[in-house]
Amino acid sequence: MKILIIAMYHPELVRGGSQQMAHELFQGLKAVPGVEPVLLCSADYNSPAMFKSGARITGFDQRENEFLFLSYDYDYNWHKLPLPLQAEAFAVFLKRISPDVVHFHHFMAYGIDYLTLTRKILPDARIVFTAHEFMAICAADGHMVRKGDGSLCEQASQVRCHQCQPHFGPEEYFLREQWMKAHLHVVDLFTVPSRFMIEFYTRWGLDAEKFLHVPNGLQMPKFSAQAAAPARRNRFGFFGQMVDVKGLHVLLEAVNLLRAEGFDDFAVEINGENIQFATPARRKEIEDFLAEEAERPLAERRVSFNGGYPHGQLAARMARVDWVVVPSTWWEIFCLVISEAWHFGRPVIASNQGGPAERITDSKDGLLFELGDARALAETMRRAATEVGLWEKLAGGITPPEPREAMVQGYLAAYEAAAARQKLAAE
Amino acid sequence: MDDGTTGRARKAPPAPLPEFDEETYLRLNPDVLMAVAEGKFRSAREHYEQYGRAEGRLAMAPRDLPRDKIIITARPGSTGEAPHTPLGAVDTIKLSSAGGLFVTGWVNDSLDRLDSVELYVAGWSVAFSAASLARVRRPDADQVARLATPHALGFWGFIYAARRLPTGKCNAVMRLKSGAELILIVNIESQDDLDLRSTVLNHLASAQYPGPAYFNSVSSIGRAIGSQLVDFSQMLTRKAVSTPYIERFHHGGRVPKASVIVCLYGKPDYLALQQALFSRQAGAEDYEFIYVCNSQALAERLLQEAAIAQLAYGLDITLILLGANAGFAAANNLGAAHARAKRLVFMNPDVFPKEPDFARRHLAQVEDLPALRTDIFGAALYYSDGSLMHAGMYFEADTMPGFLLEQKDDETILRVEHYGKGAPPEDAALLRPRPVPAVTGAFISMSSAWFEELEGFSQDYIFGHYEDADLCLRSLEAGRPAWLADLRLYHLEGKGSARQMVHEGAAAVNRWLFTHSWVEPVKAALLGPAPVHPALAEVRP
Repeated sequence: MKILIIAMYHPELVRGGSQQMAHELFQGLKAVPGVEPVLLCSADYNSPAMFKSGARITGFDQRENEFLFLSYDYDYNWHKLPLPLQAEAFAVFLKRISPDVVHFHHFMAYGIDYLTLTRKILPDARIVFTAHEFMAICAADGHMVRKGDGSLCEQASQVRCHQCQPHFGPEEYFLREQWMKAHLHVVDLFTVPSRFMIEFYTRWGLDAEKFLHVPNGLQMPKFSAQAAAPARRNRFGFFGQMVDVKGLHVLLEAVNLLRAEGFDDFAVEINGENIQFATPARRKEIEDFLAEEAERPLAERRVSFNGGYPHGQLAARMARVDWVVVPSTWWEIFCLVISEAWHFGRPVIASNQGGPAERITDSKDGLLFELGDARALAETMRRAATEVGLWEKLAGGITPPEPREAMVQGYLAAYEAAAARQKLAAE
Repeated sequence: MDDGTTGRARKAPPAPLPEFDEETYLRLNPDVLMAVAEGKFRSAREHYEQYGRAEGRLAMAPRDLPRDKIIITARPGSTGEAPHTPLGAVDTIKLSSAGGLFVTGWVNDSLDRLDSVELYVAGWSVAFSAASLARVRRPDADQVARLATPHALGFWGFIYAARRLPTGKCNAVMRLKSGAELILIVNIESQDDLDLRSTVLNHLASAQYPGPAYFNSVSSIGRAIGSQLVDFSQMLTRKAVSTPYIERFHHGGRVPKASVIVCLYGKPDYLALQQALFSRQAGAEDYEFIYVCNSQALAERLLQEAAIAQLAYGLDITLILLGANAGFAAANNLGAAHARAKRLVFMNPDVFPKEPDFARRHLAQVEDLPALRTDIFGAALYYSDGSLMHAGMYFEADTMPGFLLEQKDDETILRVEHYGKGAPPEDAALLRPRPVPAVTGAFISMSSAWFEELEGFSQDYIFGHYEDADLCLRSLEAGRPAWLADLRLYHLEGKGSARQMVHEGAAAVNRWLFTHSWVEPVKAALLGPAPVHPALAEVRP
């Protein structure tokens, strides 16, 4: 069985959850007998050196079966590419690879219409689409967070979407939905890493029967617990992108509140990057905080910024903290950081919505706090740092995260389910 | 005293004036007092003898002037006021290469009305009668003229010479009814024909008309400007459609049963959207799409969109690209001329099927229903918010009293209304298939033979609006009213193209033209939502 995995970005060029999972799957499928995976990742203006004159699709760094789709002039309003040459190159590539399964992990950088194009070129192939967020439903970056007040959005509508991003009129949001659904119609099977997403997509109008829950699985480095446990469990870590919806600002505000209360027996380590993708206001807020922190006398510093981290450094970074804080202000679809924290035996303190709420059981294997509420986070952190035995109890409650192999098996089952649905549709 | 040495023939001596009183005559006639003071006459008596008697002026005052009553001391109209040079300016004179001439300016004719604006240029001249000019408010001119109450001192006019005229300096003469003149020397600006049309239509839409502003704008067009603009625009339309670029994105061997003709303007996105949504329909392959683009700037993008659409959706597309905006009517007529099917579907780019089996049901109705019902028909159109947008069209007439428009006659303008606009989606009475006075051009299905018989959309209408109602009325007059069919589509009204001020100007001209063409038959039998026209018998409940 030949499986073409289509991803937005190559994780070695631009980091991100969906491309990481696509790549994990690609690597995992290589180990499955009788399966030949091919990986096609988009590259855009973020990786100008990858572009070659006249090429639309190229190889990648001498890797077997790894290709780059060179995307430019993408239309973010309608999610489509403008040039016939790009579509033709994609069509030729599909014919050349001739896969049994085309597994999209994203449509961004290609265009949602490439789903229909795929069906047109490969009428018999199974098309599987994994939604890593709500991009098809939500024009506001697929986050389903209201732009006006930052509140979570549970229902897209032409008027609500227009209120969020007024440059499109209600009619255009109506059309956007029709346009998206017209192309998603060709998908045989959808998968989502978290169950709660299915409700969102079915409420939006897609068929629940076409959805399958396949949790993300990571191949993690080997880990053995520390020999000697520290006396206090008062070290908190943030891991991930420093963009608005990851909620780093909530954590920093919680630090301010704890200090204002006179509680400063804690440490926070920030491990993250891509602050350039944050909004200017949020970026300034974070950078001002960190600059002010750096000005404090060493003994008063409680927050340190460690920058980004390659995968190989994850164990070392995790070893420096007791708790991992996930203060995301959006639905946080799956949260690979939770998997990483659990792998290293770190309980997670997370916002009480979306993926984290689905995965963490409060006071059993982690702690949940009201999303976006810095005071609630401050109280939770204070409790975590001071309540004797809490860390040990929660760490003991952690279930090891799904390994990559489980995810691979999950997707193989999805490909079978897609075949069954195709057969059903044909009948 | 005249001593007779001037050599001129002596006049006959006047009749004796025993009671002529020099002082009284001057008091009664202040204009004579001024003339004598200026030396134009040697005495009051001389004025009386030469003019005053003939003008019926009193030579002496009554002994007792009656109290609280005006008495007439001369025959009305005989005491000519000395004409005063009016205040005014000519702001613009623009001349296009094909002979379109546009003039704007203002004149203080609040008391002494404007008679004409004359332009004298080396080789040609033109006199705009005051009636042919549109009058508009000019607050800046009001200030200069120090008027206590605002007047429509501004004017503008347009005339189409249909020939190249030399430009240069121009003597512009603003002549008032009294004969007073203001003479100015003005440079004539040259302008491209298309630009001039835009300039004039923009001006038409943005000028401040007095009183009932919209009525006044339409009323002022009607006197002369409208027909001149229509002629001018027709010339531009003929030019625009004379050299189209045509590219076919066809899949060989197909014989379409229907040709969908879509006029694009300003927005390229809708080709892909329409193709994506229409191609999902069962039976979509029986249709070909002909996109006629009125925006030169979209040409490259549309070629790309059509190529991608051919690859991804697989419907036959013909792309017709025009170098200038030929308007809705001419673009659709051109599309129809390149259609391969005998069934024409004129569809706006922002129209999409609401039903999954629209494509098949449409053709089934064409095949199954009698020709009387299918030669020309429309469909129920819906807003994206779910409510009804259109279930046929009818006509209303708005009338404004003439005194509000400073004219003798009352003014009537026709208005087109949609049955069921904003109504709940399932209203059986509204959705019932029936003949209607007209259907919107957003969706018209027509047999090509009947379209040809009617000679297509009228290209008199500038850019767009009212040509659909005009087509339906011509069909009605020829014995075949448009029908509302049992079909449903979305129409995101006004979203499929880019609307600008210039289109508002064109819409005003079109409304005047539509009224001018149809007001009598509409008043006779087609007024209101339940007209009495016999061919529409089913409309009446």
